[in-house]
Amino acid sequence: MDLKQRIAEVVETSNAEFMAQCYNLEGAPALGSMVKTKSKDYDIYAIVYSSSTHGIDPNRRIIARGQNVGSEADIYKANPQLSKLLSTDFRALIVGYNKGKTVLQYLPPLPASIYAFVYPCDMDEVRDFTQSLNFLSLLTDARLSVSPDEVITAFLRYASQSHPSPDDFLVKAGKEIAWLLSNDIRRLDSILKRLQR
Amino acid sequence: MTLEIAQVYSQIEAMATDVKKRQADYRQKIDLALQTIATISKNQEQLERKIQNARTTWLVAGLKGKAGIKHPLKPCPHDFMVVASDGSQIDVDRHQSAHLFLLNIGLVRLQYGSSPDASFSSIPTLYFREDEMSIRSHDGRQTPIEGPLLGIKRGVEECRFLADLVDEIKMNLPVIALIDGSLIMWGLVGQRYDDFVIDALLINGFLKQLDRFAALNHRRPTAVASYISYPRSADVVNVLRVQLCPHEPVDCDKYCKGKFEGRECDSVGGLLDRVLFNELLAHGERSAVFNSSSTIVEKYGAHQVCFFYVKLDEEVARVEIPLWVADNKDLLDLVHSAVVDQCNRGFGYPVALSEAHEQAVVTGADREQFWSLVDRVLNDNNLSLQHSLKQTSKRVKWI
Repeated sequence: MDLKQRIAEVVETSNAEFMAQCYNLEGAPALGSMVKTKSKDYDIYAIVYSSSTHGIDPNRRIIARGQNVGSEADIYKANPQLSKLLSTDFRALIVGYNKGKTVLQYLPPLPASIYAFVYPCDMDEVRDFTQSLNFLSLLTDARLSVSPDEVITAFLRYASQSHPSPDDFLVKAGKEIAWLLSNDIRRLDSILKRLQR
Repeated sequence: MTLEIAQVYSQIEAMATDVKKRQADYRQKIDLALQTIATISKNQEQLERKIQNARTTWLVAGLKGKAGIKHPLKPCPHDFMVVASDGSQIDVDRHQSAHLFLLNIGLVRLQYGSSPDASFSSIPTLYFREDEMSIRSHDGRQTPIEGPLLGIKRGVEECRFLADLVDEIKMNLPVIALIDGSLIMWGLVGQRYDDFVIDALLINGFLKQLDRFAALNHRRPTAVASYISYPRSADVVNVLRVQLCPHEPVDCDKYCKGKFEGRECDSVGGLLDRVLFNELLAHGERSAVFNSSSTIVEKYGAHQVCFFYVKLDEEVARVEIPLWVADNKDLLDLVHSAVVDQCNRGFGYPVALSEAHEQAVVTGADREQFWSLVDRVLNDNNLSLQHSLKQTSKRVKWI
């Protein structure tokens, strides 16, 4: 994995998810995109479900600074220290890992290592991972700080672009979700509406 | 039970009444001070002689120009750098398990202009060896470094690390190095420290570091300055007291021994310089440059401490500079404009100093963690831990 591609580092970790701090301010991957990181012996795949930018020191409040400047960029230019005092981090839900060349769509035996580097997945990896959709139950069952349905639809729209026929992929994913949410028609309806292009 | 706030309340009210009463005649003093400073330019040389011959019981600023003059703010260079340091300490604590002290120096580098950039760092240093814990003379005397002396040692280290930081700068930009507080080592004044202590901390310590800044100024424009927020000094008001004194030469002990009111100089006495310059200066302007006449400053040589006042949004601050900065018009203007700019960016206080403080600060929780780490490592090395019973009683609260 290339040094230039790494975007963040794991700063909080558990079996089901991790939080990563980005190297660049506001450099978090998009909601629903796929990232990978390392545990001891395997790569872990995860889907970004939230990101935030905040002060590194929780006791220091961020204040508005732009009343007399021309653009938002000028705020950073006039206050170069800000980029060192602010931080962007994101949370990602683990959806699988690889063991050798085999991709397994369930939780890994061990969490990602703390300080493990985080990389964005390229579209080939996303396509390979989404050949099977068994991991979707991890998403539908997840208890997240944001609506999991937003994350599911954002991910499926993003992943569909890695397939030769995005529509076919979305239809296949829609059927899988219909089966998973067969006892919750309102939720299923809401997800399917969000998937319509 | 701790502080009985209800009992203190009536005393606070009495204090407020007293302050109100004093403020009424404060206004008269300000008006007279303004009138007096305006007349100085007419008899500047005469006043300088009067100050030189004066024997006062208070510090009188030396004049380097017309006392009442105001200097407008000039623009900052387009590209420049501000560096700053600040420090904090964990002092020797005889109630703890180990005899040591720690200095934590925070450093900040802020680059403005076409390539804005910033870097922060903090450097903790633990002092525990016998020869580090005291200052020693050639003839075997030693003074332990703790309490106020550790504060002075910290000031020296803040300056040393700041000089290191400036030394590492590769870019050919004007640099302003800011120190928090005074350039005058007040802690060494009147404490009757032995000469070897003063030599170690001032001559071979602080002043050696100021030498480095002066040398760095030959490489690129480099100014060093210290910033005092809400200063309590009255050196310039004391110039006016000398001016108003009817005795020639001025001699407080001879003419006014034991008097604290009713003297001619009391008509402006009690005013602070910041109050005077708050009236005199417009926003961004600085005062003339003055010399400090503190006895310790006699040892400063080329770094003789000069100072000026500058009016900011919310307050008048005192900026101290060595003589070689004061005598260099470009560096002086650079300090003036950079300090005002830093305060504008930092909501009234230089942003570089405020971030250096954030880097340096050692919180109560940090202290506890530090001492418990010391205990753990000593314990891991099978060294017996001995705390004082006072320390134990603070840790274990009982009824």
